[in-house]
Amino acid sequence: MIPAPVRYARATSLEHAFQLLAEPDSKILAGGQSLIPVMKLRIARPSLVVDISQLELRGIDVRGDELHVGALTTWDELLDARELERPALAAIGECVRGIGDLQVRNRGTVGGSLAHADPASDMPAVLLALGATLQLRSPEGERDLRVAEFFAGPFTTALSAQELITHIVVPLPAPGSGSAYVSVEHPASGFALAGAAALVGRDGVSRVAVTGVAGQPSLLVSGDPHEALEAAEIFGDRFASAEYRRELASVLVRRAVERAAERTKGDA
Amino acid sequence: MLEPLQLVVNGERRSLDVEPRTLLVHALRDGLGLTGAHIGCDTSQCGACTVLLDGRAVKSCTLLALQAEGAEITTIESLASDGEMHPIQRSFVENHGLQCGFCTPGLILTATDLLSRDPDPSDDTIRHSLRGNFCRCTGYETIVESIRAAGAEMRGSVGR
Amino acid sequence: MSEAHIGVARPRIDAPDKVTGATKFGADGYVHGLLHARLVLSTEAHARIRAIHGDDALSVPGVVAVLTAADLPTATTGTDRAAEPLAREEVVFAGQPVAMVVAETEAAAEDGAEVVMVELETLPPVVDLEDAMRPGSALARLVEKAEGGSDLESIHAGVDHGQEDAEQEQLSANVLDRVQRKNGDAAAALDASEVVVFGTFRTPWVYQAYLEPQVATTWLEPSGTLVVSTGTQGSFVSRKELARAFGLPLDRVRVVAEPLGGSFGGKLALIEPLAAGATLALRRPVRLVLTRGEDFLATNPASAQVTHLRVGARKDGTFTGIEARMLVDRGTNAGWGVEGITSSLLVGPYRWEAHDIVGYGIQTNRFTFGAYRAPGAPTAAFALESLLDELAEKLGIDPIEIRLRNAVVEGDIGISGNAYPTIGAVEVLERIREHPLWSARASLPENEGIGFAAGYWPGGNEPAAAICRVDTDGTMTVVTSSVDMSGVDTGFAVIAAAAFGLDPNKVRVVFADTATGPYSGASGGSKVTYTVGKAVEGAARAARVKVLAAASQELEIAPDDLEVVDGVVRAIGAPDRSITVEEIVGKALRYGGRYEPIEGHGGSAQTRGAPSVAAHLSHVRVDRDTGEVELLRHVIAQDVGRALNPALVEGQMRGGAAQGMGWALFERLDHDEDGRLLTGSFLDYAIPVAERVPEIDTLIVEVPAPDGPFGAKGIGEAPVVGAAPAISNAVAAATGVRIHELPMTPPRVWQALRQDSGPTETPA
Repeated sequence: MIPAPVRYARATSLEHAFQLLAEPDSKILAGGQSLIPVMKLRIARPSLVVDISQLELRGIDVRGDELHVGALTTWDELLDARELERPALAAIGECVRGIGDLQVRNRGTVGGSLAHADPASDMPAVLLALGATLQLRSPEGERDLRVAEFFAGPFTTALSAQELITHIVVPLPAPGSGSAYVSVEHPASGFALAGAAALVGRDGVSRVAVTGVAGQPSLLVSGDPHEALEAAEIFGDRFASAEYRRELASVLVRRAVERAAERTKGDA
Repeated sequence: MLEPLQLVVNGERRSLDVEPRTLLVHALRDGLGLTGAHIGCDTSQCGACTVLLDGRAVKSCTLLALQAEGAEITTIESLASDGEMHPIQRSFVENHGLQCGFCTPGLILTATDLLSRDPDPSDDTIRHSLRGNFCRCTGYETIVESIRAAGAEMRGSVGR
Repeated sequence: MSEAHIGVARPRIDAPDKVTGATKFGADGYVHGLLHARLVLSTEAHARIRAIHGDDALSVPGVVAVLTAADLPTATTGTDRAAEPLAREEVVFAGQPVAMVVAETEAAAEDGAEVVMVELETLPPVVDLEDAMRPGSALARLVEKAEGGSDLESIHAGVDHGQEDAEQEQLSANVLDRVQRKNGDAAAALDASEVVVFGTFRTPWVYQAYLEPQVATTWLEPSGTLVVSTGTQGSFVSRKELARAFGLPLDRVRVVAEPLGGSFGGKLALIEPLAAGATLALRRPVRLVLTRGEDFLATNPASAQVTHLRVGARKDGTFTGIEARMLVDRGTNAGWGVEGITSSLLVGPYRWEAHDIVGYGIQTNRFTFGAYRAPGAPTAAFALESLLDELAEKLGIDPIEIRLRNAVVEGDIGISGNAYPTIGAVEVLERIREHPLWSARASLPENEGIGFAAGYWPGGNEPAAAICRVDTDGTMTVVTSSVDMSGVDTGFAVIAAAAFGLDPNKVRVVFADTATGPYSGASGGSKVTYTVGKAVEGAARAARVKVLAAASQELEIAPDDLEVVDGVVRAIGAPDRSITVEEIVGKALRYGGRYEPIEGHGGSAQTRGAPSVAAHLSHVRVDRDTGEVELLRHVIAQDVGRALNPALVEGQMRGGAAQGMGWALFERLDHDEDGRLLTGSFLDYAIPVAERVPEIDTLIVEVPAPDGPFGAKGIGEAPVVGAAPAISNAVAAATGVRIHELPMTPPRVWQALRQDSGPTETPA
């Protein structure tokens, strides 16, 4: 399968990227692990792809009490990052390990995946639980958006036409926190039938998010996450009913919270 | 329509003209005659098209050829040198790590990437690393053995 | 003759080419002036074609032609896939090819195919198997022009079609075949049984999922001969089908079978007629490589089945009666269905006092049924082996022990009324019972279980021939026309080497096309080693006769007093009186030479079957909260006759077991209620990946097949048969809940555990 005719340009700077993205049917191409497959299926038919892979938006570092991840950081780079080797951020590595496969993790970028906004994507749940923020850039300037406000539905985000993600910023949880991500994969796609991420503080208070069960990942904000799931609108199909997914999410939430709580004991 | 493309493939600079939409796997197979990269699934899953891009395994069906400009591409055809098979290739032969052989080049290149970073992977790590390489014939066990044995040989040959 | 090289594990002879990327598969060869074809598939399951508009496609740069059925020079009005490569008037499944765009590049062909407009008038789709067989059901096909039966069934297994019976049943015309197998009074036997169990078992359409999508490249030689280079399991079968489809004399069709990137029953004359039709229409070379999506939609997976089964036993565990109704979904395949095979295999490798089994082949608007490794056997074994475990449990007898008490031995009368040939059922069951995993089942953690099941495959027969030629360097070339699906060529080398007296490393095996090679049937039915291997043995022996005759003159010793060992002909008992094969051939293959070329032709026409029995142990852990089943370990024991090359035999055993794991846990082709495929990619259709497949222990059991080459027989199909029921029995052992439908996906297992009410089906 071959994509529909398209033009290709490689951006040499953010400004250059913005110029190129002025073309109405242009699309940003980062690692391509989400975009190229849908172009091959001809679901996506951009007139121009703007390859931003050469931009300096890669890398992981801790600045003050925040973890900054460049949007072009690959899953593989994230897996190797020593900055993530702490119980409070354990959910990230746990999640990345299950994303795609070795080859996809070598090419696929964090920012690209978020911008694609597959409703069964794993990482959004983790970023929601960790309270992450996305730094966005467009010709109009810079803005920060909480992940909770970023997703607007299946394959839909708050990004405007010429806007791209530059960084993912994760506030470092309070000392003594633990996090975890647990999922059950669809056996074919590897995407989550349901996935749950939890951040638990030393005080036992937790923040929980789920993915895969609805049009977009969601933070379970009300008191008891299981009650929140009871009330939530859950997606079902011929492989897995809504009833199953709801139960599954509830089980996974429990497990994620337990595992995250277990990790609070490991942090000094 | 066609754009000139310069690729560094198996250590050689190669020039060809491609449509921008051309996938790397088609450029390699149709443009350069490197048919060891196979097309098996079209949905970026089976790994039969795996090649190395700057030493890392990637699916050449999920990459425009133009994206690969500037990188070093390694295909299965160059893994053997001077008629000597690479230890991983030899190990697949000796440990019966193949049957129909369609998935084999991709598996060997994924294993090359894996062993370059983790010379002594556990069986679980090997199996997890093969998530993106389907094999319908073998049941995987001899493939895992082949990679394990190749790792041992490669560790031995670099002197431990 | 030396058997020293038999039973030695050695690498496949094609391995070096395969690991270096040198092997040229069907899509890899360069052909000058090649055009590329892309299919336009029906989006409806059942419809009349009103019109096909190709104008937009023809205006796409690079597009050469838009072909519809009327453009292909087919010579028949038959409605099978070879006779009607593109639908003529009626579309009978979603995914059926209706047009073909041919272009200078693959990309242009795809651009063109995208804009072909097909006008369809929708007809009621027939998708529910049980509804389809009821009188008054809508029909899945209105235009019926079947002609002369296809003999594709006989490729796969040697089975009869049971007896005709007078019993009349009101059935829809969708029921294309009804097979009844009856002996004694099964109902009475069941009534008289101490224990009777029953259940309804469902299995879905399952895809062969070979890694290489189907491919064919066709061109015309200057003489006008149609050349077809393709991944097929049977070059002579493809030739025959093409000659029939296009009304060509056999000698005007030359089929070259390329190395197969997996097939498992699925690649036989399905895609060749499309490419050939384009070449005959356009007089240009054409290649059609299916995309994976097309391969899912437009090919020929294994039938869905529903089996209503009732079995009984006496207190001592003796099996009494077996009664069944088996519903087989043929999709649109009017030529053959698997009901004949599955109904004969349902009894398993066991003795029954009475049986009454009815199989129905039912047409629906789903796919075209095709063969997949041991067609009809995994589905039958799933039903039978599940219920045998229930019998064992009710009687308090060990599951393996109860099967041993009923296992068939040579001479027992089988379901077709014929005596079983040599069969290793008892040996296999006894062997696997000794595996430590079986005794470990008493002391497992909670939610773990170990299950057992057996399965067998009757094998197949078809006459075959082979040629052996020895060259002046002392090496031998074996020529067959038998497609290598499972490493049989490596086995041929060992057979020829042993029969002649050479080191197997000096034997090369080449594959000839239909213009040049000796006859061989399609590779299928686990018959290649048993039949073609026998022919290879004969050819090597014939060549040996020639070399002995020549050596006899050279050494002045009677041929009977000579032997050939590792390429040297020597006097028996006086090995220093010798001459090398190389020298003799040198004296033959030259101007004025004295001896006939050292070549032999061999043939075989096996008449006795060589069934293979395989038994499995599966160790699983079930997550009761999520429904996930984790495979922890698997054991397979199989009677292989004689393991010519144990490494390759184990490869077949493990590979078959892994495909059985796919049946058990992952694989299901699913349609929506209108008959549109919902699982048309590997994003929706799961096959086992490395991290889901456990270690698989192999136990090779050798009960030599009397007529096989050195006791060997076909072993490729038996290992898939019992794997899924072993896993479902393990799930039952772990949870106490028996699941009657495959695959056992997490949502299904979860649902079953929640209901936890045992069989809810009514008796058959």
